[in-house]
Amino acid sequence: MSGTFYNNSTFVAIVILVLVLLLIAGLLVGVMRMVRGMIQEKYPEEVKPGWYERVVKSKTKDWNPTIVTLVVIAIMVLVLGGWGYNYGMTEVGVQQDYSPDQPIAYSHELHAGKMGIDCQYCHTTASLSRHASIPSLNTCMNCHKGAQLRDKYNGQPSPELMKIYKAVGFDPETSTYDPNAKKTPIKWVRIHNLPDLAYFNHSQHVAVGKVECQVCHGPIQEMEKVYQFSTLQMGWCINCHRQRGIDVNEDDNGKYIGNKYYEQVHEEMKKKGEHYVTVAQNGGLECAKCHY
Amino acid sequence: MGNSNKYWRGVEELESKTISNGNEFSDALPMDEIFGDAEELTANRRDFLKFFGFSVSAVALAACNKAPIKYAIPYIEKPETVTPGMPLYYATNCGVYNEGFPILAKVREGRPIKLDGNPNSFLSQGGLCASGQGSILSLYDTNRLSNPVVDGKENANWAEVDKKVMGVLKASSGLRIVTRTVTSPIMKASIDAMLSAYPGSSHVVYDPISYSGITKANEADFGKKIIPNYMFDKAEVIVSFGADFLGTWISPVRFSADYTKGRVPSPENPKMSKHYQIESLMSVTGTNADYRFPIPVSKHGLYLANLYNKVAAQLGGSAISGVASQELPGNNLEVIAKDLVNARGKSLVISGSNNMHDQQIVNAINNLLGNYGSTLNLAGGMNSSQFDEQAFDAFVADVKGGRADAVLFVNCNPVYSYHRGVALAESLKKVKVISTNIVADETSALAQIIAPDNHWLESWDVQQPAEGYYTISQPVISKVFNTRAASETLRIWSGADVKTADNDQASHNWVIEFINANGGNADKSIHDGFFGSATGSSPSYSGSLDNAASDIAGRKSGNGMSLALYQKVGPRDGSWALNPWAHEMPDPVTKVAYDNYVTVSMHDAKINGWEQGDWMKVTANGHTIEKLPLLVQPGQARNSVGLAIGYGREAATSQKNDLTDLGQNAYPMVSATSNGTEYQGMSVTLEKVGSGYVFAQTQTHHMIEGRDFMREATLDEYKEHNNVRNEHKPHIVSLWEEYDYTKGHHWGMAVDMNACTGCGSCIVSCSIENNVPVVGRNEIRRRREMHWIRVDRYYAFEVDADTHTKVRIGPSYVDQDFQKGEFVTKENEIAGLDKASDEDKDYGHYDNVKVVHQPVMCQHCDHAPCETVCPVLATTHSSEGLNQMTYNRCIGTKYCGNNCPYKVRRFNWFRYNLNPKYDYHFNNELGRMVLNPDVTVRSRGVMEKCSFCVQNIQMAKLQAKRENRKLKDGEAQTACAKACPNNAIVFGDQNDPNSEIAKLFKNERAYKMLEEIDTAPSVVYLTKIRNRKEEVKEVHQS
Repeated sequence: MSGTFYNNSTFVAIVILVLVLLLIAGLLVGVMRMVRGMIQEKYPEEVKPGWYERVVKSKTKDWNPTIVTLVVIAIMVLVLGGWGYNYGMTEVGVQQDYSPDQPIAYSHELHAGKMGIDCQYCHTTASLSRHASIPSLNTCMNCHKGAQLRDKYNGQPSPELMKIYKAVGFDPETSTYDPNAKKTPIKWVRIHNLPDLAYFNHSQHVAVGKVECQVCHGPIQEMEKVYQFSTLQMGWCINCHRQRGIDVNEDDNGKYIGNKYYEQVHEEMKKKGEHYVTVAQNGGLECAKCHY
Repeated sequence: MGNSNKYWRGVEELESKTISNGNEFSDALPMDEIFGDAEELTANRRDFLKFFGFSVSAVALAACNKAPIKYAIPYIEKPETVTPGMPLYYATNCGVYNEGFPILAKVREGRPIKLDGNPNSFLSQGGLCASGQGSILSLYDTNRLSNPVVDGKENANWAEVDKKVMGVLKASSGLRIVTRTVTSPIMKASIDAMLSAYPGSSHVVYDPISYSGITKANEADFGKKIIPNYMFDKAEVIVSFGADFLGTWISPVRFSADYTKGRVPSPENPKMSKHYQIESLMSVTGTNADYRFPIPVSKHGLYLANLYNKVAAQLGGSAISGVASQELPGNNLEVIAKDLVNARGKSLVISGSNNMHDQQIVNAINNLLGNYGSTLNLAGGMNSSQFDEQAFDAFVADVKGGRADAVLFVNCNPVYSYHRGVALAESLKKVKVISTNIVADETSALAQIIAPDNHWLESWDVQQPAEGYYTISQPVISKVFNTRAASETLRIWSGADVKTADNDQASHNWVIEFINANGGNADKSIHDGFFGSATGSSPSYSGSLDNAASDIAGRKSGNGMSLALYQKVGPRDGSWALNPWAHEMPDPVTKVAYDNYVTVSMHDAKINGWEQGDWMKVTANGHTIEKLPLLVQPGQARNSVGLAIGYGREAATSQKNDLTDLGQNAYPMVSATSNGTEYQGMSVTLEKVGSGYVFAQTQTHHMIEGRDFMREATLDEYKEHNNVRNEHKPHIVSLWEEYDYTKGHHWGMAVDMNACTGCGSCIVSCSIENNVPVVGRNEIRRRREMHWIRVDRYYAFEVDADTHTKVRIGPSYVDQDFQKGEFVTKENEIAGLDKASDEDKDYGHYDNVKVVHQPVMCQHCDHAPCETVCPVLATTHSSEGLNQMTYNRCIGTKYCGNNCPYKVRRFNWFRYNLNPKYDYHFNNELGRMVLNPDVTVRSRGVMEKCSFCVQNIQMAKLQAKRENRKLKDGEAQTACAKACPNNAIVFGDQNDPNSEIAKLFKNERAYKMLEEIDTAPSVVYLTKIRNRKEEVKEVHQS
């Protein structure tokens, strides 16, 4: 764990310092005004109206001080609150729109969008396992052993592709692998980070729930650089569980064609005149479905 | 009504010492001291608000952590079989005791995280013992050597090692290769290669625990040096003389699985084997016996000889002459002999003695009874002990006398566990010592060159645990350190051209060659984990008891104290003693975690004025241990002292925790005779040198105050009424709103107390599966153990069958005013027993106590008392009947724990991970590799408890959904149910009418614990049935 978004303790120190300085400045201004007021009281002619009186006071003297104070406070609350909310959310792991630089400038827009490659061609385990998993480099090499994009780079292989070739020990000139090369894995930056206390399983949603990738990951086929589309907050999960159905469908003749796992419970409920509509009704909101 | 029992947990309970009844706060809480006078409180409301405001904002600021960048690093080339996030199971062998025990290793992303028994092999039958479960941590042990060591240089390379070793070996004229029993034909070939390459060399076998008494007796009586193939499932009468076959003796997992098959009666087949245990200490096996007779250690052989004579008298064999006549109180030896004769051909007599002559008598009894070929067999016997004391003593003499000039230790540690290890270490300093041990243990510390072997989970190997039966080891992880398989190392040193590489190609090839050459199919055998079948020659008996007779007649059986050394179920022989799980698990009988102690009977303690926790100086066999705490063990024979081996390791360890310098080494007290290494019968003296030690003893923790939780009956009662003890269903008036659990799943568990032997395997299995932290001795003393499942051990004095007003004490009955007809009553009712005993100075009722084991985990009550008191809804109920615990919601009020009548909730008093105060595997990177990635590691301040392994339930359900099918019975399994070799714990869906669990819920023995308080638990217990008849009275030793 080496990198951070920013150095937290330095940041806090600067904020505190700025606040203290502002406070001191405010105090000094107050003292100045008090002194000026006292002088003006004693020698009303001696003191010419200052910049403040001429420019600000003359225009605002008719304003209602209560309203002004309230407006100022409201603006401050809005600005500081907005910043604080954003900051706090990031701190507790809500990283919507998080879009870090990746070691290889891979474009989903190109591969998934323009070329129309199926998501699960690369993210092979999304329908099998907890993790969708980032493809191993041999998947990249399936195409890029041949597709070296030399036409774009004056006959040289793409510099981004060279990173892959180097990692797997591939010589693009001879199209051979060097068996003695030291292979180094690519260190991708993880964008979607659920907290450790939440268990999420891709296959449950992709293979069983038949949820499209885009429902959670957004228009990934249009993303030149991937960002986190959803908040990944618990409320977001729960909302979806309250809305989406489970696969207990029947055909027109009333024959069950849904997932056979649910068949028995579906029949039992049917006898009672009930039926499942949403994931939530099947226990999809219970704590130990995701937290254990 | 039959006999009834008064249950109690520990001696201190009877003496009302540490547990007061209903008066938990003996002193008033020191409120004044803490808060002082009210006038002195100077802070006013405004100050309070200021402090409060400051702390809230300070906490809010402090809670902001750095949001770290996380990386996702994919494979370069993903192996075809690996799916990240999904476990893979490989069949391999447990290498703890070098016996080729077949296991399955659960591997996640290339690292094994859990071991379980291989369900398809007769040796494991799906079970794995506590030390086997825990042994996975030896792979991730920070004390392992990461490189070869040459002359103290810790980062030598292999070429350097090979050159240096071969130089040493070529110059040597008397090489000795010391190994543990070699069950691996591949290792055998490597040793043979060494022997032929170096003239003057020889091979010596060393095992820390010797079974040579058995193998030598079989050599003398049958001409076959082997441990017989015992078949406890076929025995109707089992008589064990001190053999702890359910705990530590030879192959306890297989034996208890077989034993249990004959121990669970059903209405269709109301039969049980009858088990007599005649022993000195209170062993796990003894606690499970139908009848248990304590005998002094020194008279072991005498009782055996007398049993032989009684059997011979009935069957017309020739008696052993010259031995004194000896009977059990109440002429019970005669009763046993009759039972054996009636069940001849279907009975089994065994002895835990390692004296060849004792074992010859055992052989003679089994032969007279015609048991060979039915309940035990020399065909397909076990190869797990080839140790020969004479050969090893000759080796020690050779080292001392200079006839051996170089010694190669292959994965054995005699400097620690040989009874003259200190002297051996002294003479080893004069010779060249090479070792392949994987840790820098006591023996390796003397080695100039250490060429560390792979861990057994990193190796290819074939083992022959039984004649004709082979089990296969395959690596389940790529090597953690720069190590090399010892079989390859030896082959290289013998000068062979071995293509060894990082992937141990050579030993892989040897394994395949061996399987092919011996009629196995390589792919299938590696997949299954074994091939072949346990068969062999079975020669006929041609023994003589002349030597045994004179030996036993000549044994002194004076009235002094005798010592019995034994292995504990957790740490066993001490080879892997630096494993926290082995020690954190309380001993099944004493319920002491961590400590090493001497046990004596209550009688001996009272007569000598000793108390539990006194420090004793122990002297036996010319060796003195200066200081060990004393533990009073109910049920232990008089004049017998118990002491566990496997402690006092001096091996260097990088961690500082409760395992460092734990206990004292008792191996030097082992007595070696020409008849075998003797672990019992040595004369011993005890001297009190101090007092006041407090054990970390869990037996009185989590009390349930004498409620009706344990039900027990005799087989005769069961035959009359299958629902014996469960006749009275409580009348429940419920305040709860009913919830319909009949749709979907309703998970349930059944615990059969007839099958549970109390071995503790489930405890360790649960800890590994659920990332349960190790908390150490001090925390256990404070009742803060974290185990999600505990095995309660209760003692019972017997209440007289007819009147229910008497407790059987020694030869007479003592009247006590018990409530008539009550099965279990308040604990303080039995506390008065000692008063009567104090008067006659006999304490006879302690000599013979009955013991029952009861595993208790979260009962997942459908009307859960814990859920109603949680102020933050951190514990809730699922529609599948699970009592869910949500850690991230818990604020740690502990209300739930207080309101739980079963006392199964555990509170995280500290953060146990990454905390140097708890320097166990949670505190280092290597040790954390064993963590289950599907289960949260809990932090400080939250409650936790058994979840019914909800991660496995969810995984199994998901598998079924993905494959578009119904969930099958047995797919969702808890870790405890999987670990149990006896199938004592069964888990499943109550709503599936064909499931095993649904049948068990309908079993007439099934009852729910504390059903009368309407908690509606999802766990049922099955009444314990013992095969006892009333006419056999267990009477104490006079």
